Amino acid sequence: MADNVIEFKKVNKSFDETRVLNEIDFEIEAGKFYTLLGPSGCGKTTILRLIAGFADVTSGDILFEGQRVNGLPANERQVNTVFQDYALFPHLNVFENVAFGLEIRKLKKNEIKIKVDEALKLVHLSGYGRREIAELSGGQQQRVAIARAIVNEPKVLLLDEPLSALDHKLRKEMQGELRDLQRRLGITFIFVTHDQEEALAMSDQIFVMNAGKILQSGSPVDIYDEPINHFVADFIGESNIIPGKMRQDYIVNFDGQDFECVDAGMKPNEPVEVVIRPEDLDIAPIDTGQVNVTVDTQLFRGVDYQITAHDAMNNEWKINSIHPTKIGQTVALAFDPEDIHIMRYGETEDDFDARLETYD
Amino acid sequence: MKKWRISNLYLALVFIVLYLPIFYLIFYSFNVGDTMDHFSGFSWRHYATLLSDSRMISIVLNTLIIALLSSLIATIVGTMGALGIYSAKKATVKNGLLSLNNVLMVSPDVIIGASFLIFFTFLGFSLGFGSVLLSHIAFSIPIVVLMVLPKINELPKTMVDAAYDLGASSWQTLTKVILPAITPGIFAGYFMAFTYSLDDFAVTFFVTGNGFSTLSVEIYSRARQGVDLEVNALSTLMFIVSLLLVVGYYLLGRYNQNRRLQRVKAAEAKINQ
Ligand SMILES: Nc1ncnc2c1ncn2[C@@H]1O[C@H](COP(=O)(O)OP(=O)(O)OP(=O)(O)O)[C@@H](O)[C@H]1O
Ligand SMILES: [Mg+2]
Repeated sequence: MADNVIEFKKVNKSFDETRVLNEIDFEIEAGKFYTLLGPSGCGKTTILRLIAGFADVTSGDILFEGQRVNGLPANERQVNTVFQDYALFPHLNVFENVAFGLEIRKLKKNEIKIKVDEALKLVHLSGYGRREIAELSGGQQQRVAIARAIVNEPKVLLLDEPLSALDHKLRKEMQGELRDLQRRLGITFIFVTHDQEEALAMSDQIFVMNAGKILQSGSPVDIYDEPINHFVADFIGESNIIPGKMRQDYIVNFDGQDFECVDAGMKPNEPVEVVIRPEDLDIAPIDTGQVNVTVDTQLFRGVDYQITAHDAMNNEWKINSIHPTKIGQTVALAFDPEDIHIMRYGETEDDFDARLETYD
Repeated sequence: MKKWRISNLYLALVFIVLYLPIFYLIFYSFNVGDTMDHFSGFSWRHYATLLSDSRMISIVLNTLIIALLSSLIATIVGTMGALGIYSAKKATVKNGLLSLNNVLMVSPDVIIGASFLIFFTFLGFSLGFGSVLLSHIAFSIPIVVLMVLPKINELPKTMVDAAYDLGASSWQTLTKVILPAITPGIFAGYFMAFTYSLDDFAVTFFVTGNGFSTLSVEIYSRARQGVDLEVNALSTLMFIVSLLLVVGYYLLGRYNQNRRLQRVKAAEAKINQ
């Protein structure tokens, strides 16, 4: 496909004997915002380093616009990186940092000046050119790092947890600015984070990783609403995961009752896991909902109350509710068939997609 | 309180013992008389003799030329060596090279001097300016490596990656990123090598010949022939020069520290922000 800027084909990466990337396969389309999401040590940075050319694959192929680029040195790739620690050059000032790539490419002085000023304006740092790096705040340094990368107009911009050092407010602000920047420039972004909220807020497409594997890829909504397994459901937001049994298509049994659901394609009486998101649960007077639970704890979080409760079978329930309850009170939980998502044990993403095809 | 006093007293005593001979020497360099027996009056006499002693002046120049040249070449070679050790991929190779370097650092000058003498005579290399210069370069290189290597290790690894990422070649990465970033270390290495060369006696003593001499060797041989207060005058001047070097070195250190402080402050600001 001509639209794919980057493709990984069965990429493996080992350090000495330890395998850190396992059969990674993915395609990156031009002009979209991608996020690699996963816990610490799962191999996100390693993937970026492979794309940038700082490391070589152990086996497999990396394609850039259809061309195999294994072994192509980093300085010949049309990719730029925003490093997690910014990696600005301390002996150069802001302008010189941003101009570094352009000077390497031997652009004319006035051309460089125009481009650098434009890039600094893009990251809201106009007039900061003369400043030394040490004189900048963390958020400003991060934006210099972004300017230094985008000024080269790469086909793909790699961002390795560029917001992790910032406080909540600045972080939110920068999320918006980055997303905005990506849309304006039309550059493909590959963004690394281990913050699921950040991933959901910013991405067109998310790759959820764990232990060197991509577990699931899809739009934020797909991944949030239809996690493929326990790990993804747990990692992407809070969830109630309850063991159950698939009676037949569209009927699932858990908590000792049968419930209507919207999933199908499993074997009769197949053991499954049932996912219900805490915010999909409504609290109702006792006996007016689907399950009765007794409230154990309640925590006010500003926008809502985070409540934990247990049912008659001693399953834990997490509920997010804008209305408070009382600890020890027994209430009913109300939810709709669409709020129930069923996960099969050990189902791969391909099998999952194939099953969805059968009844969608 | 008491303990503090005793330790201070001790320190003062140590410094007095260390510096007393030097000040004694300096004091008598201004003597009118020819001996250090008693001070018979102030005069610049010995300094005048020193300045009209063309042999001594040329030796001073030799010494400076050797020191400047040897430390310059040692700085270039040593910096490249440090870069080589840094970029060694295997840990065993890296540690091996570093150990070889450190062995040279700690081995006594006498042994280094003697082995150079054997080496040069074995090669039939005539002793003189060339042999002194070569051996000074040789013993200065490990010093430079030791001063520069920590600076390279301090560089964030991603900074080098960033240079490649922005399209720089290996050479451009070296000249535009790595070398500017380790310049303070290179200067410190140069200073150290310079002072080591300037006051080296043992090695030079072994490898010099053909009438070529450096200050330390010359002063040694003159002092053996009996006290000549011209040597005192020269020692005084050398002492002042070393004092200036130390002050320069100190200021360089202060400059580095300021830069580090600035960096730390920036990092703190990043966290506090
Ligand atoms: N140069 C290396 N030598 C040996 N092991 C390495 C090397 N680089 C990474 N690893 C290992 O590879 C695994 C993946 O590392 P990677 O840096 O890609 O993780 P990550 O997903 O970016 O984690 P984080 O979120 O903490 O940054 C880790 O287990 C790490 O220990
Ligand atoms: Mg990482």
